[in-house]
Amino acid sequence: MGELTLGVFSSLVGSMSLDFSFKLAEAGMAKGHKVNMWLSGNAVMMAKKGQKPFKDYSHNEKLMKELMSKGMEVTVCEACAEARGYHKEDVPEGMKRASMDWYLAKTVKTDKLLHIGGE
Amino acid sequence: MGAVNLLFVVQRPPYKSENPRLALTHAIASQTAEIYMDDGDSVVPIIVFVGDGVLNVVKDQQAMKVYGVTSTESHIKSCLLIDLPVWVCKEDMTRLGLKEENMITDAEDMGAELKTKFVSFADIQKEMESVKHLLFF
Amino acid sequence: MMKLAVFLSDWRRTEDSFERMKAEKMGVILVGNGVYHAVVKENGKDSPVLSKAGANFYVLSDDLTTRGFTAANVNSKVKIVSYGDIVDLIMNDYEKMAWI
Repeated sequence: MGELTLGVFSSLVGSMSLDFSFKLAEAGMAKGHKVNMWLSGNAVMMAKKGQKPFKDYSHNEKLMKELMSKGMEVTVCEACAEARGYHKEDVPEGMKRASMDWYLAKTVKTDKLLHIGGE
Repeated sequence: MGAVNLLFVVQRPPYKSENPRLALTHAIASQTAEIYMDDGDSVVPIIVFVGDGVLNVVKDQQAMKVYGVTSTESHIKSCLLIDLPVWVCKEDMTRLGLKEENMITDAEDMGAELKTKFVSFADIQKEMESVKHLLFF
Repeated sequence: MMKLAVFLSDWRRTEDSFERMKAEKMGVILVGNGVYHAVVKENGKDSPVLSKAGANFYVLSDDLTTRGFTAANVNSKVKIVSYGDIVDLIMNDYEKMAWI
């Protein structure tokens, strides 16, 4: 089994690229792969816990928590989060915060990288 | 694992999208990534501007003066300062009516020795083939 | 030459990078609004994306049905795939990915 790293820069609401990323991560883990996810730019909207699952908006927190509980590593860009007012205490349980070099370092060992550069 | 080459490809114009800036800041972050890596491992980035992305490299940007935000120009110059290669697609410059004299060619004002390289898309294609990962912004 | 999977997630955008990119083996994976390349025939013509020489084309089933299309609408050049199939394409068939 391999290791797949997803770098995602798309916003939670609006593009559905984040929804795509979590569903792809789920499919990857179901096949036994290790999956890492880096959230940067507007994707750091995932770094705010307690999001209400309205049907009019994309909602990924529940799936993200399930996948993290099964071993997916999710790390958000600390600077991108702080710039948007999402602080350490806002982060959902299990999610890590780091600087951009975390993502760069992940590219070294991962077998495959899918970098979804946002809009 | 040793050195892993990464190609950052910027395709969008600056400011309307955060993408080009994030490409630059992530590429620059390669300088400190070693704290997360095993001894002997490193990442070696190149940043290339293609398509409408070449508009990021137009010189004399005044974003700090006008909006109080760091200009894309200053990030590009920071790349040159840390010897991070900056390449710009010549065919796309021609398509958009841009000449080298319109572009950021160096960061001598910051003490950088490395200069911007103006290259053909064929050169960029070769680089795409040689790196381990592609990061399109 | 490389084995490259290109993800297209937009419908109206400059594809100038895509048009110029070459690979020994290229997979074009249509996701999000990129699925319209597989189903819409503007003025009766296939999307220019589908004329990429030598490429294998894939479209994500979930994103087709999300937009009101079915297998019956999909261009015969394009194979319909699931999320699991895309994982296999990434992990087994292509060396690098480009989400452009």
